[in-house]
Formats: sequence, C-alpha cells, structure tokens
Amino acid sequence: MSSKFDVIVVGAGPAGLAAAYKLASAGFKVLVLERGREPGSKQVYGGRIYAYWLDKYLPEFRKDAPTDRWVRKERVSLMTDESVTTIEFEVVKPEKTSFVTSLYSFTSWLGKLAASAGAKIVTEVVVDELLRDEKGRFIGVRSGQDKVYADYIIDAEGVNRLLLERAGIVPRLKPELVAVGAKEVLKFDNRKIMEDRLGLSEDEGLAWAFAGWPTEYLPGGGFLYTYRDSVALGVVVYLTAWRQLVTPVYDLAERLRTHPYIARLVAGASLQEYSAHLTPVAGISMAPPRFSYDGLLIAGDAAGFLMHAGVLIRGVDFAVASGVLAAEAIKEAGRPDALSRYDDKLKSSFIIRDLAAFRNADKVLSGQFAFNDLPKLVNALMRNYFTIEDRPPTIASALKTTLGESNVSLTKVLINMMYALAYL
Amino acid sequence: MTAQQPVKFMTIEERLNVNAWDVDIYRPHIKIKDPDKCRYCEKKPCTYMCPAKCYVQQGNIVVLSTEACLECGTCRVVCPYENIDWNYPRSGMGVWFRFS
Repeated sequence: MSSKFDVIVVGAGPAGLAAAYKLASAGFKVLVLERGREPGSKQVYGGRIYAYWLDKYLPEFRKDAPTDRWVRKERVSLMTDESVTTIEFEVVKPEKTSFVTSLYSFTSWLGKLAASAGAKIVTEVVVDELLRDEKGRFIGVRSGQDKVYADYIIDAEGVNRLLLERAGIVPRLKPELVAVGAKEVLKFDNRKIMEDRLGLSEDEGLAWAFAGWPTEYLPGGGFLYTYRDSVALGVVVYLTAWRQLVTPVYDLAERLRTHPYIARLVAGASLQEYSAHLTPVAGISMAPPRFSYDGLLIAGDAAGFLMHAGVLIRGVDFAVASGVLAAEAIKEAGRPDALSRYDDKLKSSFIIRDLAAFRNADKVLSGQFAFNDLPKLVNALMRNYFTIEDRPPTIASALKTTLGESNVSLTKVLINMMYALAYL
Repeated sequence: MTAQQPVKFMTIEERLNVNAWDVDIYRPHIKIKDPDKCRYCEKKPCTYMCPAKCYVQQGNIVVLSTEACLECGTCRVVCPYENIDWNYPRSGMGVWFRFS
C-alpha cells in the first residue's frame, strides 16, 4: 500500500461507505480501511432504518438495498415482573417509512455500491493512529508498521473512537455517554409462525420497545425487531447502571427471551447469533469540539451522530447523511485546509438540528422516572382499574389507589410528564 | 401452534458457541494493566458489565480471557480505575457477525 490516495476512510460502516461511494462516484481515489473480514462483520444495531433522509441522501437504496420488512406495527411496552402494558400503533395501509434488516446485510449492500463506484475497500486492517504533519494537519493513517497517506481522512471508526482519543480530539469515553446492547438473533424455521404470533403479513415488520423489567428498571430498555425469518431480541443498558445492576449484562438478553411473556412468542426459534455493541445515548453531548480539522472529517457514531429519544432511536440515517455531507465538503473544499464547511453543512442539515432539539432527552431518560416509576405506576394503574372486586373502580379511584400504594406523588408524576413534553 | 415447550435458559457459554470466530490466541487484544489494582476494586464492574463474560472473579482477583470477546469496549469505559488496556484484535481476527 505505497500509492497515495485522495481520501482514506477509516471504517466500512454506513457513514464511511456512504462517503466513499459519493467520493468515488465523483472521481476521487478512495481507500476504505476496515478491521473486519468484510464490511459489516463487526457491526451490531437494534434495529431499524428510517427511510426519509435516506431518500434525500442515498436514494439508491430504494432500488436494491435489502429491506427485509417494512415496519407496519409499532409497539411500546411498559413491563414489570407481573404484567405488561402495551401501546400498539399500526397503520391500516402499509407504508414504506422505516425498515428492518440486519445491519450486516445493509452494510454489505453499501459496500458493494461503493466498490462498484471505484472505492477500494481493504478489510482486515486495524488502523492504529491518525498521522499528522509538523503543523498538526492530518495526512494519513498508520496500521502496525504500514503508513498510508492521503489528502483527506474521514474518521468513521464508530462509537469506540480510539483514534480520536489517541489524537487528543476527544476525551476518554465516559459511562455517561454510552450504553451497551446485547442481542440475540432468533431464527424461525417457518417464518409464517413468526408472522402469525406477531400479527404480521408477509414482508410486514414490527418494531417493539420495552421499558422497565428488561433492565431491572435502570435506564435502557429491551427491543424486538423482525427480520425476514428471524427476530432481533435484545437489551440495552446505560453504562451508568454499573452501580445498581444485579443481573450480569451477559444474561440480560436471555433473561428477556425466557420471560414467560416473550418466551411464547419466540418458542422454537433457534439462536443464530449473539452479539453486543456500545451505542451513543447522550446525543450531541458526545460530539467532538469540531467535526472538521485540517485534513480530517469525523462522521457517524464517532461524531456522536445518533439520536436517542427513548423510543425513537436513529443511527443509520444520521450516519449515511453525515458521510454524504463529508463527501460534499471534500468535493467543494478543493484543499485539505478548507474543510470547516463540513461543520457548516452539518449545522444546516437535520443532523445537528435534530440532535440539538433532543439535547436534553438524556436528562429524562437517565433519571429513574422513565424506566422505574413509570412502568410500575402504569401497570399498577391498569391492574387496579381492570380488577373487579367488591366495589368497581373508577378511573379516579384506581389512580388514587395506585399512587397511594407507591411512594410517587402526583406532583412528581406531573413534573416528569412536563419534562417529557419539554425534552422528548 | 404446537404445545409450548418449556424454555431453557441458555448459558452465556452456550450462546457464544453459536457465533463465528477467528481467535488470535497468541496475542490477546485486551490486557488488565495492573492486576493488583483489581483486588481493591469493590464492585469489579467488568465481571458483570461485559456482555461476553470475559472477566471472571476468582477469589479477590479478576481473570480475563479474551477468546469470546465481542469487541464492544464496555470494560474499558466502565473500569473505575481505567485499568484496562484495550485494542481491537489484529487483522480481521475476533468475532465475525453475520446476522446482527
């Protein structure tokens, strides 16, 4: 690898590959360095991908990207040891606004797209360091003994941004900024069984979030998404939970799978893969001081471009869009010391707008109301209302009984509702 | 639907066994910098925050085996003493996700 490239992209994920695709299409000589065996082989997400911004930034996906199931049904469940209260939203006429597919297959597709545009993707290379010249400009990367140089570097290394830490751009990752997700992919021999149990027709998808019991009432939650013939079932828990968590993280996903409420839905499905990954949870708080430096642009999770608003979690559309904007910035800059336009582009895009709008979401989501008080109160309220004994309850009496049984005051409930309305 | 089978709780070892790996047993990518420090670590969060159970408490010390590491980075972030030297495995080694 002695030849010089115009652009080196670190990380063949959605952000890096979107940038590589756009730049290669514009005639740039692009090298993508990926530590896994192939694009996607080190990646994990919940998940689902929202289509709205992909249509603007990478409309090619509509043609032939793998979209196992378009989400038709949304569920949010508040779960306790004893009961589950679920809100379900289903559109009568199927729409194509978000889809569920494995991140591996989506990334794999994007990798082929980038390669077909001329980007050179080299796998099984771990980048150890971003190289700078004597003036501090970024000029290349080092992997072991090998050094490769380029006019522009795009850092799309992901949430675990060792390179940015080593370059002194960001401080060491703190537990307040990330959560760990552990996930099981459970495959059905007959996907009709999965569809029947979850109330789906062919090609229709379900996105399901759980709060409360799956994380022992600590910040985080459970999730279930439907791939083509499997479900992705998992639990995400904030790393700040380390002081209180009792069940080890390595058993959280299996604990959810074997919960009687979930067990009957996935009975008979066999484990295809057990995976884990960190995910940003604090949105814009994780952002580096700037997104562009001389010769360097930062995109995707490494830049903190993941919107976390409790139930709404978006990473892939942010990653792709930031990669595309990085490519545009490089195309327009013409030289490595004129990249601050990337910051401007981000600020005038939905990326910074949306992250800024939800900058306080973490205050609601990292407190104990959302994942402890709320699931317990709502389930107690439902039980008090639906249980008919001597004297039938009214809504008011059920609410009064529920609050009386708990140590949460009505004032606290109302204050937290106001926070949720203000910040989520 | 057929009659419900009792659901068996799979151990973490059983679950990790279904994954594809290419393990670099000669060059562990994670090291505990000063194992002695772990003795004084009260909660030893690595032993229960790691999603792959790479860290096991034996007596008062922590034993690390990186073979089944999922490369998430949790241990590095959660270690209260910043006592973990963490890198990615070399040249394509480690876990190989295909369905996540």
